Amino acid sequence: MNEDDRRLLEMKNTSELMLDLAYSSLIYQNKVIAKEVIELEDRVDRLHEAIIRSALGKSKEPKNFDRSLIMIKISDSIERIADAALDIADVVLRDIELHPVVKKSLEDSDVVIQKHVVENGSLLHGKTLGEIKLATETGVWVIAIRRGYDWIYGPDEGTTISGGDILYARGPADSEKIIAPWIKGK
Amino acid sequence: MRRARLEKELKEEHGEIPYEQTSVRELLTLMKDTTELITDLAYAAAAFENDELAEEVRHLESEMDKMMYQIRLKCMLGARNMEAAEQMTGILQVASATEKISDAAEDMVKLLDMDLELRAILPHILSEADEKIHTIAIYPGSDMVGKTIGQLMMESYTGVRLIAVRRQNRWIFGPDANTKLFPNDLMIVRGVESGYREVREVAHAEIPWSEVVH
Repeated sequence: MNEDDRRLLEMKNTSELMLDLAYSSLIYQNKVIAKEVIELEDRVDRLHEAIIRSALGKSKEPKNFDRSLIMIKISDSIERIADAALDIADVVLRDIELHPVVKKSLEDSDVVIQKHVVENGSLLHGKTLGEIKLATETGVWVIAIRRGYDWIYGPDEGTTISGGDILYARGPADSEKIIAPWIKGK
Repeated sequence: MRRARLEKELKEEHGEIPYEQTSVRELLTLMKDTTELITDLAYAAAAFENDELAEEVRHLESEMDKMMYQIRLKCMLGARNMEAAEQMTGILQVASATEKISDAAEDMVKLLDMDLELRAILPHILSEADEKIHTIAIYPGSDMVGKTIGQLMMESYTGVRLIAVRRQNRWIFGPDANTKLFPNDLMIVRGVESGYREVREVAHAEIPWSEVVH
């Protein structure tokens, strides 16, 4: 993987995180999360620009032309997805009372946004997300963790979970039942 | 269920368009669900350079356009005063964001119409994504044979989401809880690596499904 591949990958992962965060900010009417979507959009914009610059630079050599075109097109699509996430988060930041239908329709989705409080003494306490393989075991993908006043967005395998953490996550509708015993204290 | 709901909405499109709160709700759910599917399909179409997947992306995008039109009509009919109108702008902003996503997905598959070697670049990049796209064949002796997606609760037990199934010469896109799996089905899935390995082992009849459910 070269630098541009890594940029494109980060854009893809970030755009997906942004969408999940945007829906979370809507469901929980949470402006802190909505503002993080704006921050992430800035990062996506910078990555997008870097990819275009690099692709244009390399396209002077005919053998790189196709590759440059592919990178620009894919990067452009991902940037627009990130932009759509920003539009969703913007609804939360505009101080207009949300129509109840929006929250209800998101709750009916195949992929539901969920919020869980990790109880003290739960199976997750003191473990990293990589150790417990939460996504594999429960289908639940953690998108943000609130710990007191701190937020961790897009936690990775090395992120440790503690009792008292509030997990914002997405997963299939039936995953909420499956994760329940994991977050309960003994 | 997704398909049945879509057809119902399309029938409505050609008849009277009454203002129904539930219908806006259903449309918005369907639009959001479609964006999840269409982006996965677009990445898969580009990574595997598969025209049939790309065709479904184009189809879903045109359905999204129709749904967007429907939801606009319904919101306009529902806005009886300033406060309601303001609330409707929120609904429409979310709906048009989902439409924007499907547009971006369709643009991605346009790359397939150009004479480019996508295969040389994309699978390589996508293979490092947090959630990867894979194909898995179901072998005749697998525990998955004869089970529905709902019975298996595959995504909840493995973190692996089924995007599409290829059965002989036809495709099932965005399979739902009632979709039953058959021998030699080819699944296109999205998920984390450890879950993918579990699903593959069961699909290849190497381990029983009960070993995954614990």
